[in-house]
Amino acid sequence: MAEGGDIVELRERMARAAQLLLYKHHMQPGAKAWELRRALGRDYEQVLKLFDAELEKLGLQVKRVSEGEASSESDRYYVTLRGHPKLTEARTFGWRIDDMAMLTVTLAHILSKQGKAPLKEVERMLEEKFPRWRIESTLDRFIRRGYLSEDDEGLLYVGWRARAEIDQRTLLGLLLGKEEKPSEAEAEPKVETKKEEETRKD
Amino acid sequence: MPGERQETLLRIIDLCDTVRMRGLDPFDVEVREFFDRLRELLPKLRKHEEFYLDIQAVLGLADVVFQQGEWIKHKSSLLYLDPLLITLKLHALPPKDLAGVLARAWHPIVQLESLSPHGIKEAQGYWTNLPPLEERWRGLETTEVLTGEIGRRELARLGITTEEDFAAVLDRTWRDLKDAAGVRGALSYWDFISKRSFEETVALAWLVSFLVTYGYATLELKPLEEEILLKPLAKPRKLERVATFSVPIAISRAEWLQRRKEHG
Repeated sequence: MAEGGDIVELRERMARAAQLLLYKHHMQPGAKAWELRRALGRDYEQVLKLFDAELEKLGLQVKRVSEGEASSESDRYYVTLRGHPKLTEARTFGWRIDDMAMLTVTLAHILSKQGKAPLKEVERMLEEKFPRWRIESTLDRFIRRGYLSEDDEGLLYVGWRARAEIDQRTLLGLLLGKEEKPSEAEAEPKVETKKEEETRKD
Repeated sequence: MPGERQETLLRIIDLCDTVRMRGLDPFDVEVREFFDRLRELLPKLRKHEEFYLDIQAVLGLADVVFQQGEWIKHKSSLLYLDPLLITLKLHALPPKDLAGVLARAWHPIVQLESLSPHGIKEAQGYWTNLPPLEERWRGLETTEVLTGEIGRRELARLGITTEEDFAAVLDRTWRDLKDAAGVRGALSYWDFISKRSFEETVALAWLVSFLVTYGYATLELKPLEEEILLKPLAKPRKLERVATFSVPIAISRAEWLQRRKEHG
């Protein structure tokens, strides 16, 4: 009976995790590590790992995105597609081919420049292939949607959404004509378990 | 030579700013040499302003050293690829291939929007407590403000226009202009903008002003003939090294009516 009760409790916690990660609560989708810890308990990473296994059946995954190099309580978890959409599918999401091309150029340029590039430089680069009026509005939209961020000195950075949605290594690899196989880290669920084990030992 | 000292300090500060702002290779800066120069200058500094500049220069050089560390970290990371190679690829690939690259590296976020029972209750409370419009307007104090200018971005932000629509309309106008100009490559400004209604005419003139501003068409003024020629360009012209000037063209309803009568 105790085992049955545990399973019911675990299911309830997974349902709570689904609500937190799938429904938009604030300006950004997903939930922060500390929010999940508060809602799901100290072993929230274990719950997320099980939730990720359930999502795998639907072609989705739980993804953790860190702001810096080290993981912290402000890291954010999202649910994303496990694979990638086909180009024709991406167009049905409301994306134009030109917009996707512009985002590729912008991100690749920023990444090749150590993660930041002047807005003017990016605009000049895009002007070779796209009309200027479209560039201005499209870059604005990318900034609003979180694919890019801009500081008060006019420098562009990779935004929170691009960090969550775009595999930067694959993007650059494909651009240079390399066929990238998904890395081990990508193939495996993104939920970290090492830390959980360490905590348990404590 | 206080002027020379200040100039040296300012040049060092400027160089450090350029590295930080424009992402130049920080190893191009001879940090050691500059520190030696600063050491030589220090005993000669007299004014507060010079000491302040000296501090700025030292901080700038320290930042360059930090950038060098970041540069090494980036180069040794898996993400490092030669920027030149990337740039060449970006130039060579057509938009469709570039879009394909993004699609294959893309894992869109799944998100849902919903209204919770709490949200519904809050909305109900708001609706119940909201006084009628008539009542709210009655008490409004208004202040007269001078008219100003509003940019397209601001209009879009306020939801008055959508940028997507504007881009599409501008694109279509450019194509129409090229078709209308034909092989001659030019046509009368008034012939192009003149439409059945005055409103349509003004709207088209407004769009043409954007085409000219962005370098997708040019205007040729013939003051003796009192004619304005509009020339669409096959490719947009970069305006950075071209001398540009504004041409105000007034469009009054009376003039529009007269032209409609004359030209049918």
